[in-house]
Amino acid sequence: MSPQQVAVIGTGQTVFKKHHDDKVYAELVQDATLAALADAKMTPDDIDAVVFSMAPTEFVGIHDIEKWSVDSIFGAGKPLMRIHTGGATGGSALHAGYTHVASGLYNNVLVVGADRVAETPDSQHVLNLIWDRFYEFDFALNTVTMTALSSQRQMSLYGTTEEQFAQVVVRARANALRNPHAHLKGKITIDDVMNSAPISWPYKLFDCCPRSSGAAAMVLTNLEGARKKCTKPAFINGIGATASTVFQGDKTGPKADVEYADLAELEIAGKEAYGQAGITDPMREIQVAELYDPFSSMQFPQIESLGFCGRGEAAALSDAGAFDLGSELTVSPSGGTLCTNPIGVTGLVRAIEAANQVMQKAGDMQVSGVRNAVATAIGGSAQFYTCSVFGADHL
Amino acid sequence: MANDETKASDVISGEWNVRYNYSVGKVAGKFFDALKERKILATKSSKSGISYLPPRAYCERSFEACDEWVEAGHEGVIEAATIVSAAFEHLPPPPYAIAYVRLDGIDTAMINFVRGLDMSDVGAAMGKLKPGTRVKVEFVDKPEGKVTDFHYVL
Amino acid sequence: MVPVFKENDAYILGVTLHEARDRVTDKRLEEMVYDTAKKALDAVGLNRRDLDHVTIAACDELDGRSISSMLLAAPSGAYLKDEIKATDSGLTGLCLEATRIRSGRFHLGLLVSWNKSSIAPFEDVMRMRCEPFYTRPIGLNMSITDGLFAGAMRGADEAKASQVAASYGQAAARNPRGVARTPAGADAIAASPYVSTPLREGHRPPVTDGAIAMVVVSGKWLNDNPGKTPMARLSGIGWSLESYQLGAERLSSMSGLKTAYSNAMADAGLSGAADLDVIEIEAQTAYHDIATREALAIPADQIVSPSGGPFAQNPYFCAGLVSAAEAVLQVAGKAGPVQAGQVKTAAAIGFHGFAHQGTVAAIFQEVPA
Repeated sequence: MSPQQVAVIGTGQTVFKKHHDDKVYAELVQDATLAALADAKMTPDDIDAVVFSMAPTEFVGIHDIEKWSVDSIFGAGKPLMRIHTGGATGGSALHAGYTHVASGLYNNVLVVGADRVAETPDSQHVLNLIWDRFYEFDFALNTVTMTALSSQRQMSLYGTTEEQFAQVVVRARANALRNPHAHLKGKITIDDVMNSAPISWPYKLFDCCPRSSGAAAMVLTNLEGARKKCTKPAFINGIGATASTVFQGDKTGPKADVEYADLAELEIAGKEAYGQAGITDPMREIQVAELYDPFSSMQFPQIESLGFCGRGEAAALSDAGAFDLGSELTVSPSGGTLCTNPIGVTGLVRAIEAANQVMQKAGDMQVSGVRNAVATAIGGSAQFYTCSVFGADHL
Repeated sequence: MANDETKASDVISGEWNVRYNYSVGKVAGKFFDALKERKILATKSSKSGISYLPPRAYCERSFEACDEWVEAGHEGVIEAATIVSAAFEHLPPPPYAIAYVRLDGIDTAMINFVRGLDMSDVGAAMGKLKPGTRVKVEFVDKPEGKVTDFHYVL
Repeated sequence: MVPVFKENDAYILGVTLHEARDRVTDKRLEEMVYDTAKKALDAVGLNRRDLDHVTIAACDELDGRSISSMLLAAPSGAYLKDEIKATDSGLTGLCLEATRIRSGRFHLGLLVSWNKSSIAPFEDVMRMRCEPFYTRPIGLNMSITDGLFAGAMRGADEAKASQVAASYGQAAARNPRGVARTPAGADAIAASPYVSTPLREGHRPPVTDGAIAMVVVSGKWLNDNPGKTPMARLSGIGWSLESYQLGAERLSSMSGLKTAYSNAMADAGLSGAADLDVIEIEAQTAYHDIATREALAIPADQIVSPSGGPFAQNPYFCAGLVSAAEAVLQVAGKAGPVQAGQVKTAAAIGFHGFAHQGTVAAIFQEVPA
């Protein structure tokens, strides 16, 4: 039996910034819950089950933090589970919410979470603790260095330049000016990026995402619920996910299944999601891509993995403006992860922004004529990938 | 109640120190013992024919046990490299270089520091670390059976 | 061929438990998990290639790995597969797996969970569940909150708890899948030191090292693979998370248990405990057994926890899923020395969080030949 249709009928976010000094975590996650419920024209009683989106808790310093938050999101007494796949958490939580509804087990499901990455001054230390304790931990691997390494390889394979990465940042910050929730935004130049402080070659400070604090929530329902509650829902028409090895060195050499520089696992997840959604020509059929790109170099391989162009072609297309707001494919109209990264909900924010575009309620960010939008999330050692396709029409 | 006067200093400080005892297992134990003799041992799956560094007990792809040991060459090729210029808590003082290097005879690359590199000009130093560049393994004077017993040099 | 299985129903094709030990010293966690996952696939004659998904349940903090699935997804069989992870408990992983199979999107999966309890100081990790403002300065952990629960139980009787713990120990001693131990008598348990009054040391099992893998398939997959025989149908599932605030009502009402259990029973189309042949309870304390029997009106002659529950083995995080495995073995008639006769229907009930904040109930039913 094919899955029941699943629709997004409400979304909510808080503003994202380095600190929310005026609220504790449980209060922050409530703000997004209330916003999503209001958007869905629902009350807490309408929610049948909750999926909690939260990655490593060390950033916030409270283990099993969903257990503390359950009261503030009106979840006590309801089915609630927490999903955690590192940076891919928000994408995976969306997929779990999808199966909650698609299975027919629950009608109305709240997917919600919050993060406060800067609650610890040691966030990159936490992101060092994720590595194999015996073999890799000692070599200063963290999310910055691991992707700097693959970026160097990308540049070597395709001739991509630091300036081309910088152009991605310039576009993202400019797009974020229209996003009331974005953390970093502004008119900057390629020179500004090139002259920012060196971090880990080829990265400068502006090539890297901020550590963000904030919350996000989404209400999912079945076809009947969507018809009752929402004139323009966003249907989740495809979900794909792929996990890979933690050992990035396995993705090099002649025997590699997937190329380190390419984020090639996303190609597998993308094909699965496209197959379900009936997408055969993504550049023609998809108008918006909300990408999990915490570093400037992570956009091109994702655009290529998702089939919008061939390998090594995205950088030149980017220079030519092909991914600008309102072009054939608008990439991260929200400013994307480069401007806002509350890790435990970043993937969910990508999904919300993509769904909002399909629901025609992305405000100043709205791209005209969006019928399909795609959202990605990436976690672990660029190891966990999710791809989700949202459509104005159901299958 | 929270109000507009809440400041960044309005926090409770805390730490999360939990001690862990990680079992090394047989494979890593043999690898670390071999390092004391200046040998780098990889595991190999006869099923898939893939040899792995870091060594592991099983082949992730064929899902069969790695049933052979293979000694890696002490030279190899850079697959990816970076020079870290920023200071991170609990990590070495910058600058330093790290690289995934695929050692001769082995199918996967293993990360380690690249030492002895002049990093006064980071751009120029990165020019010497391009993928495909050959490097050598250099052991410390007194290997203790730790992964930091060796590193790479140009 | 006429399909005999409902396409979107979930079935347990195989169950594999890692050898239970107080401490597994000769393997790193990844090797324990690989051995378990590999054995689970071998046991049902399947290859990792065949899987269309993997579901993991694991706890970073207990694993001592900040995103533990980074290291453990591949040994769980997830290399280049659709993989997802729940963090609440091993048995919560079964809930997630049920949603995946029953969505019609997934058909052949491996559900993997573990807890190498010897890695991390258990109660020190649990203590960090306290939010930092009101409870952490006081200091709560599992023992203390279970003591609060035992104290709040109406009509809780220490002597009865000692008897219950002793009977769990006796059942555990018969279970070949448990850690070999000499069971303590009720008197010795009643004389063991208080941990958090009225909870005594002997009222709860020690934590151990373990891992578990289940092969879960859809009815559609079974229809397409007529040579494969499932052990049981996962006919009902329910779960609930209660309030974080530990008032007397929250501690003693077992309302989360009632919600999860009634949802699971309704899902399975069953009405009451009398419809169940066996109930496996993940009794992290003897008081949990007593409270569960009372809350669910379990008849006195009901067969409860023939496996000895966590007193047989207690890889804490996945102990509820181990209880589910024991229930599956009962339905399949493969529980060995602890087999409770002919079992058509069995339930597993598991807990997680401070003072059973979270509850999961799963119902397994015989698959007619």
